[in-house]
Amino acid sequence: MNLRGSFRLMRRNLARRPARTVLTVAGVAAAIALFVLVESLAAGLDRAVSGSESARTLVVYQKNRYCPQTSFLSQSEAVRIAKIDGVESVLPVKVFLSNCRTSLDTVAFHGVPADLLFDARRIDLIAGDRATFLQRGDAALVGEAFAQRRGLDVGDAFRFNRIEVQVAGIFRSPEPIEENLIVTHLELLQRSGAVNKLGTVTEFEVKISDPARGRAIAAEIDALLATSAAATDTRAKAAFLESATADLREILRFGRLFGICCVAAVLALVANTVAMAVRERIGELAVMRTLGWRDGRLMRLLLAESCALALLGGALGTAAAWITITTTRLTLGVEGVLVGFALSPRLVATAGAVALLAGLLAAALPAWKATRAPIPAALRGA
Amino acid sequence: MAFVELSGVTKSFHKGATTITPLDDVSLTIEQGEFFVLLGPSGSGKTTLLHLLAGIDPPDRGQVVVGGKDIATLRAGPLADWRAEHVGYVFQQHHLVPVLTAWENVELPLFLFPLSTAERTKRVGFALRAVGLDDRADHYPRQLSGGQEQRVAIARAIVADPPLLLADEPTGNLDHDSAQSVLDLLARLHHERGKTIVMVTHDPNAAARGTRMVHLDKGRLHEEARR
Ligand SMILES: Nc1ncnc2c1ncn2[C@@H]1O[C@H](COP(=O)(O)OP(=O)(O)OP(=O)(O)O)[C@@H](O)[C@H]1O
Ligand SMILES: [Mg+2]
Repeated sequence: MNLRGSFRLMRRNLARRPARTVLTVAGVAAAIALFVLVESLAAGLDRAVSGSESARTLVVYQKNRYCPQTSFLSQSEAVRIAKIDGVESVLPVKVFLSNCRTSLDTVAFHGVPADLLFDARRIDLIAGDRATFLQRGDAALVGEAFAQRRGLDVGDAFRFNRIEVQVAGIFRSPEPIEENLIVTHLELLQRSGAVNKLGTVTEFEVKISDPARGRAIAAEIDALLATSAAATDTRAKAAFLESATADLREILRFGRLFGICCVAAVLALVANTVAMAVRERIGELAVMRTLGWRDGRLMRLLLAESCALALLGGALGTAAAWITITTTRLTLGVEGVLVGFALSPRLVATAGAVALLAGLLAAALPAWKATRAPIPAALRGA
Repeated sequence: MAFVELSGVTKSFHKGATTITPLDDVSLTIEQGEFFVLLGPSGSGKTTLLHLLAGIDPPDRGQVVVGGKDIATLRAGPLADWRAEHVGYVFQQHHLVPVLTAWENVELPLFLFPLSTAERTKRVGFALRAVGLDDRADHYPRQLSGGQEQRVAIARAIVADPPLLLADEPTGNLDHDSAQSVLDLLARLHHERGKTIVMVTHDPNAAARGTRMVHLDKGRLHEEARR
């Protein structure tokens, strides 16, 4: 078949009712944008809890805290925890969050003793250097994701409320959630807090050698600290991440359902538009069939028209979602767990496939009907 | 040589309890190169007969043989290919595609053949010149008069150079002058290019251009004149 001829017909047919075409494309774009946003948040959530070290990391918080910032543990307890059999390292962490409820665009500081940091966590510097960080009391290492979001570079100052840090390095981490953090010196965060909490930290990150003993060691830690100033609640990091993000998961489940409903609604919209467009042209199609166009060829033309609309809408919707994600750089924070939107090439391909499928499904029935209708009857209607 | 042969063709339509039989056991032979005129009152089945000849409507009974081929036995796909190659159809209403220009409308059937762009351009230009509308190539159907639209439709019917032209009241909606130019064109196609033409008309003046006149009434054909 002559492609140029088909392509021209397709273009002219879509331009026939510009308003209708534009509205259909916009409808598809809106649905696909929603689909991509919801799915990339879901992917981001999966990524956030996927850290490879989370199985052999325990997190110790004050019992009954309702937010990381209301957890106060005596820093000196780190020494006692470190003595427990099976514990490899203990990292006291002071957490500062811009907002401890579920919110978009959370800023999270972790204050840690600089001398312990590099043994306890994997910090792969991609810019800046370790020495500068160690030298300056107000120096900070910024996770790559956060640096990108805020456009931070080595040498920049970053200020949030009363906390001001100098960016000494930017790092990657095998733990995706840590790439959203600002890691700085423990004293800096302690000094910015209340005076009577000076010797306290928010949590202990405990590395253990055998993940299978996680539960036992957690129980041992809680027993050990039961008599101290603040009773503790120790959990495996994986379990902590799961429970912290449980509500978000629930919302996302609903969101996904909602996204699917939207795609279905749009499918109905496109189907209706295509059906209308085909009905209008049934006589014209009969004329083309009389000229010798095969039914299959006309069917392909109609399917191609519908798919072109759907794909254009899908591309615009995906682009809109991408622009939203990259320009607003939203990060959803729940209880200090930061979840970014992860728009992967695979998700883009899925969105394209969804749009294409919608286009095909929408056009299949009207196109089939139009090309199977008896020509004389169709000519009469023209 | 017989080009079109209908034998024992019956076609009926059912509307509720009533059955209309516009073609009742009709047999007819049309020779190659004939300018065949089909006359008959409105609703007598003239368009139905053309549909059968074009293979866009199958007979209920009987054979339709065109150019030695029994087209009623062809499947939809091959029948479409056969139509593209053998039949030029001028509709009772011109039926141009509104979103395409005159040129593009005429080019439409050529996309079904493996032709180069240059060859297509040559043929479309030729067909449009034949109907005297090469200066209107870029006009859309809505920018043309009724007579011009009908002439574009004729150009579309002849552009692929089919041996059989079926014209359903090609002058029905035209004024005298436009009608004359369309008839002149058909006569020329018949004389100069040896086309076999089957034309339906109510107009005695148009009918006079043909080499043979046949009347269709109550399902039967009656030979009127032969030149
Ligand atoms: N698809 C159909 N369903 C039902 N009846 C039909 C159908 N097609 C044609 N008819 C009937 O068959 C008869 C012949 O129709 P046809 O269109 O062939 O007449 P015609 O001779 O071309 O008339 P006119 O001169 O008005 O164009 C008419 O009575 C018409 O109502
Ligand atoms: Mg008729």
